[in-house]
Amino acid sequence: MSAVLARLEDVRKAFPHVTRRSDRIRALWRLLAGRPPADPAVVLDGITLEVRRGESLGIVGENGAGKSTLLKVLTGVLAPTSGQVELAGSVAALLELGAGFHPEFTGRENVEMAGALMGYRPGELRAQMDSIVAFADIGRYIDEPVKHYSSGMVVRLGFALVAARRPDLLITDEVLAVGDEAFQRKCVRWIEEYLAGGGTLMLVSHSMYHVQKLCRRAVWIQHGRIEAIGDVYEVTQRYLAAQETRIAADSAAAGQRGAAGLEFETRLLTVNGIGGGNAVAIDADGTIEVEAVVRSQGGRVPVLGVGIVRGDGTPVYGVTSEMDGAAPRREGADGFRFVLRFAQLALLPGTYTVRAHAMDPEALRLFDTVEQPFTVRGRTRELGLVRLPHAWDAGS
Amino acid sequence: MPQASQRWLHLLRHFVARDLKQRYLGSLWGGAWALLQPLLTLAIYAVVFVEVLRVRLPEAAGAGFVPFFAAGLWPWTAFAESINRAMGAIPENAGLLGKVALPSSVLVVAPISTGFLIHGLGFVGVMALLSLLGQGVALAGLLAAAPMFALLYLLAVGLGLLLAALQVFVRDLAQVVAQLLALLFFLTPIVYAREMVPPRFAQVLGWNPLTAFIEGMRAPLLGTPSPSWWLPLVASALALLLGIAVFRRLSRHFEDFL
Repeated sequence: MSAVLARLEDVRKAFPHVTRRSDRIRALWRLLAGRPPADPAVVLDGITLEVRRGESLGIVGENGAGKSTLLKVLTGVLAPTSGQVELAGSVAALLELGAGFHPEFTGRENVEMAGALMGYRPGELRAQMDSIVAFADIGRYIDEPVKHYSSGMVVRLGFALVAARRPDLLITDEVLAVGDEAFQRKCVRWIEEYLAGGGTLMLVSHSMYHVQKLCRRAVWIQHGRIEAIGDVYEVTQRYLAAQETRIAADSAAAGQRGAAGLEFETRLLTVNGIGGGNAVAIDADGTIEVEAVVRSQGGRVPVLGVGIVRGDGTPVYGVTSEMDGAAPRREGADGFRFVLRFAQLALLPGTYTVRAHAMDPEALRLFDTVEQPFTVRGRTRELGLVRLPHAWDAGS
Repeated sequence: MPQASQRWLHLLRHFVARDLKQRYLGSLWGGAWALLQPLLTLAIYAVVFVEVLRVRLPEAAGAGFVPFFAAGLWPWTAFAESINRAMGAIPENAGLLGKVALPSSVLVVAPISTGFLIHGLGFVGVMALLSLLGQGVALAGLLAAAPMFALLYLLAVGLGLLLAALQVFVRDLAQVVAQLLALLFFLTPIVYAREMVPPRFAQVLGWNPLTAFIEGMRAPLLGTPSPSWWLPLVASALALLLGIAVFRRLSRHFEDFL
């Protein structure tokens, strides 16, 4: 077992509520008296983590789960409310590349200053200046004020500075999301070499591709707590599965919000005569018939929007009766019945949902969302959502 | 030397260099202004007090109005400007503090050090000039004034740390302090001599610790009576202890309140 580089033990971070001015004064008195601020908002709770030399740990989680706060606590930018943070060895954090740069100074001056912040000795950095300029690929711009740089150049110079230092532990937060494709590849290649050379990495990213490519372990942070930790594939797959379920649940909840009293309201939605969320299955290349009744309070003729989405919410197709100039059949005083047929549906096997939306006659406002799932059966090895018409040239 | 304080000094040097560069290179006038501003103040007061109001300094003041005022003006400018700039240091560098782990005290001490460096040099220059012009300034007195200048620097560091830490929580403190400093200028015998003040007010002046600092620096230069050193010593030590203690306690939480 190699040495532990970073250790977090039962770390908790809570931010004080400061909305009014008096809150700040009250917090000041409490802090001066040596007490913690009152009723804080907990951002991290019970985080215990260890990163050993040579490890690569990915950190995944939704926005606001506490990932960035975790990195800030780890690097010492934020003090934890309670718990222990221990670091052994040099740490470089790419929290925001080029964060300490001053726009009026030249790239060279800024590199020297940023170096001082990172703990370089003055001479140490000068020796590496050439390789930094080469890595950042900014040429003569190094002697221009940073305010004349493009944002990509600032990021490149920031990364070059870290690359030159080769820290024991590299901490990055979404930095791979910036810069152009070529530079991203360069960064990824550098990180891979750095890891191969025994470097240690902590990477926060929403890109599961990057996390899986660069990390062997992953931790999933949810609402400030560790939800899962372990093998990168296991954790990222669990995370992605939870994401899909949550998105699906959200849209279902939105569907049920068809409250009474709306000017236009979808009363009924069936697919092939089956509604109420019951199972509908068709074969590939089959036909679906979408039927919907919209109630219009004022008796004006409404518009119906129909969309087909995949099980995870990816939109496939959408159309409205207004686009096609289709008129509904009137039913009673305020009902309007729409029937829409999709023949020879080109969808590939999988689960899909039909969404119907009641809209005003101008087709501008959307009043509600009603859903009815259906399944396309079949066996095929084709990939994607739909079968596009295609033909191969026959070989001789 | 332990590594932490070595890094602290290294960072301080870095931020002072950055501050100097910024003030002198940022604009053509920026740097010159730092030196010119007290000179201009000196000229205005000289015209108003000597030519318009025809103020006469008592015998005990030791010299003419210009050297008398100059001997107090430069230390005062260093002090007041440093305090004002120190209070803005934490909010100004909020972006940096949120990204890089560094001891925030450096950010406060740096502008104070820059202020005392610039105006200390200006002080020496002006005194040398007045001595050359035969204005009754004993140039050797600068050596004796230097320790008092250093004590004033420590007082500014202590007060600067204290006020900068409180300012994070009480946002309008900076404006209040700027006003108080403008008031304090007239409550300190800089533009007048203590001997010119009616006795019942003169005692109040004695309570102002800055009086002792200013008079202590003036004494060796102009040959005026020298005040005792205990007040500056105690004031600096107290300010420094209090400033460091409060800053230590609060700086952990700056990031939460910025």
